[in-house]
Amino acid sequence: MIGGRSRTARRLASRLGVLLLTGLLTACGDRTSPWALHDVSGLMPDLDFTLTQASDGSTVHGENFRGRVVLLYFGYTHCPDVCPTTLSLLGQAVAALGTGAGQVQILFVSVDPARDSLAGLKEYAAAFGPEVVGLRGSQAELQALTKRYRVSYGYGKPDAQGSYAVSHSSAVYVFDRRGEVRLLGKGTDTASALTGDLRRLLAESSDSSG
Amino acid sequence: MKRLLLSVFLLGLGSMAAQAGESSLSVSDARVRWLPGDLPLAGYFAIASHETSPLRLVGATSPAFGHVMMHRSVEEDGMRRMVHVEGLDLAPGETLAFAPGGYHLMLMDRKQTLHPGDEVPMTLRFSDGRTLDIPFRVEGVQVE
Repeated sequence: MIGGRSRTARRLASRLGVLLLTGLLTACGDRTSPWALHDVSGLMPDLDFTLTQASDGSTVHGENFRGRVVLLYFGYTHCPDVCPTTLSLLGQAVAALGTGAGQVQILFVSVDPARDSLAGLKEYAAAFGPEVVGLRGSQAELQALTKRYRVSYGYGKPDAQGSYAVSHSSAVYVFDRRGEVRLLGKGTDTASALTGDLRRLLAESSDSSG
Repeated sequence: MKRLLLSVFLLGLGSMAAQAGESSLSVSDARVRWLPGDLPLAGYFAIASHETSPLRLVGATSPAFGHVMMHRSVEEDGMRRMVHVEGLDLAPGETLAFAPGGYHLMLMDRKQTLHPGDEVPMTLRFSDGRTLDIPFRVEGVQVE
């Protein structure tokens, strides 16, 4: 009976220990996280979509970008402030990688396919650099992707000129070379913080792919 | 890059000049982020008031654009959107910054072809009827 109690106590102590250890590891993990952006590994599905690539009109899927580190951002071309500011920041972060820049792709997905023609989106993406890929889809294709990553967007009331504002998520999703989601940025991170994370991801992905 | 710095001194108008003496405003970093086609552009600048009484900025016009509005980008619950700004108060001694991710002039309906390096005239308008002419330099997409 005493022995039974003792075993129970040991089991309890052991469980408490595991809990404490888990807590400590989590705490340490938070403090010593190597990532500047928010680590979302395993919290969302891998990169998958069917959209039209503005540069050549071809249909592309998430798997077309395997082997590269991918930054996924949602916006619209009639957005004069936030979208170009974020795309510039992402572009700067990628350019700072030097030779590694060619292994990173920035996917700019239009949440305003009614106004963003493929030709317009192609010109827009090209203005930000060769690493920016403009992607457009039907509302059904777009929703399949935005639901997958819980991205929201909405349209404002058109003004007298018929122009309208689009509200959209500020999230930037970062995927590793295997297409697995790894980091979540907000578009307000510094370029140098993002460059550091991208450099880590590029190194790590090279290692794991042998 | 060397920043464009413009100081503009306005003489007070009519009887106001006699009462308040010389009034002054300075505008710096007046720039436009270029985007292709006829997409709306954002204009940024900083304005400092050295006046003795409050001012209210109520808008801007430019012959290079059919329509200019004051906007502010805001973030709520992880969502970014733009809100229209009717006017902005400028207290004596205060500096207001129109900068990426916040206040900006939304420049719509281009009346001329624009390229980075160009300059476009802009007129800032105040609630007391005064205006301030400032050239805005067109920069590339990488505006800061």
